[in-house]
Amino acid sequence: MTELDPSLRELRAACRDMAADLRARALAVDADPANMAPHLDSPALAMIRGATTPKRFRRADAATAADGYATETCLARVVATVEMARGDAGLLVANPGPALAGTVVDALGSEAQQELFYDTIADGRTWTFFAMTEPERGSDATAIDARLDPDPDGGYRLHAHKRYISNGARGGIGVVFARTGASPLTIRAALVRCPAPGFTGHPLDMVGLRGARISELFLDGVPVPREMLLGAHLPASRRGIWGASRVFNAMRVQIAAMAVGVAFAARDYVREQRPGWSGHELVSARLKAAREVLYDAAAAVDHAPDDRRPPSIAKLHGTDLAVRVTRWAAAALGPGSLLHHPLLEKWCRDVHAFEFMDGTSNIQRLHIAQGF
Amino acid sequence: MSDMITQCERVAHDEGLAAGLAAALDTVDVNSAPGGVAAVPATWVTAGAPVVPYDMARDEGVAFVRCETPTTTATDELTRLGVRLGAVRLALTRRLTEHAVEHLSSRVAAGEPTIRKQLVLGTLADVLTATEALRQQLRVSPDSAVAVADVHDRITELDWELAKLLGASGYVTDSPKRGAHVSELIANCWIVREGA
Repeated sequence: MTELDPSLRELRAACRDMAADLRARALAVDADPANMAPHLDSPALAMIRGATTPKRFRRADAATAADGYATETCLARVVATVEMARGDAGLLVANPGPALAGTVVDALGSEAQQELFYDTIADGRTWTFFAMTEPERGSDATAIDARLDPDPDGGYRLHAHKRYISNGARGGIGVVFARTGASPLTIRAALVRCPAPGFTGHPLDMVGLRGARISELFLDGVPVPREMLLGAHLPASRRGIWGASRVFNAMRVQIAAMAVGVAFAARDYVREQRPGWSGHELVSARLKAAREVLYDAAAAVDHAPDDRRPPSIAKLHGTDLAVRVTRWAAAALGPGSLLHHPLLEKWCRDVHAFEFMDGTSNIQRLHIAQGF
Repeated sequence: MSDMITQCERVAHDEGLAAGLAAALDTVDVNSAPGGVAAVPATWVTAGAPVVPYDMARDEGVAFVRCETPTTTATDELTRLGVRLGAVRLALTRRLTEHAVEHLSSRVAAGEPTIRKQLVLGTLADVLTATEALRQQLRVSPDSAVAVADVHDRITELDWELAKLLGASGYVTDSPKRGAHVSELIANCWIVREGA
């Protein structure tokens, strides 16, 4: 069991307070996810942007509540994410800022690439995207079709069709995975700034987690200067997909943290609606246990970042439990609950999204069994 | 009742969710929805009725209407409605199964059709088995509110297992999963659970 030190407990309490701000905005963003302007100055969203930006790139004139905490570790980010998602996960994924792309840039980017990335999003108004998934390949990173072809004028031309990319169509900068050759070692991550010639995209109408503006992207010969390929300063074995594997492990725990956070939100909501009812005890016990599984997985990522088994366990268990808890909540509030309680109805839709992010449950099962 | 189960399932499978819902509701007073919101075919909604907007239901030809003059329907009649709705929902599960098989047959992972993966085959076998078992549960226990509610809960679980096989393509609103999603909401409106 992972013990939280006093600073992590303070961070958890601070995020729990901040989450109320996200809750208040949840239905508005779900109804009109394109209209983020009224929400961008939310203190909670600003705190998340700050917490996910390395301290050396934070703007001196844009202090946030995150500045008082150490938020670099996977454990710290998971502690924060559970509480923020307990407010509303849809807002978390609607937020401009580093997000998953930032994690890749932190892991694979040179100092100059990191500066470029964080300078681009320093206004707190710029979305980023992480473009891995393809229509026919799912999240199988080693099977992607996207190509980086040599450009006679220097650099590369990027040809790709990506689908289910959070904030892809409104992103100002993102990371796109593509291959320069046939072997898995040739899969590289390219920084792409938008708008760019040959880059088009549109949001998809998704069932839930609508704040993410999940998109389809077409990259038709987008020019990619050589210096925009991440990882050139790293050994060949660490500069592409294998280097990013550590990022995927951290991502999986974060996704699980959002799922468990939503499940806590649904449990909390039932308790508010049915004060004094003891029917939540089993659900509450399972949620507390799932949070411990998460914390253990996050601590494992910090100590052994290449071990994919703990993150897969956390994601497999967290996403499954979250779906079950939201169903339980709908039943607990009686007939018509999903029409009478729009937040609960939204969370019931939202939790399904986590299943599809960074590997379905079957993929996690394979990771877990193969790592045993 | 067995004939009604067969008929409701056939109509929903062949003609869609709204047609199946119409067959299941039959003569039920829609103002008697136990939670105060009735799920009905959109064609039944009169002008000015207090409809709860829901895009995915609209696209399935289903509407949610608040009961303006709530009435009470006997528990046994609601249970029988639950049986017919269970048959409708099973038909949607079958449609989703058929779509999943088609979808997975056209995809390849690691050089092999995804439909041939052992984990996928296991899920499909479980869904097909449970579909048969749940249909029989409706037939043998049509008067048990607990048994009927259990059928609906398990259909929701089966639909989710199938949706997982579709990956993110099942999470787009115009996916065949939409019908299963709306069918869950219909159950949420009409099914009463003991002890909830």
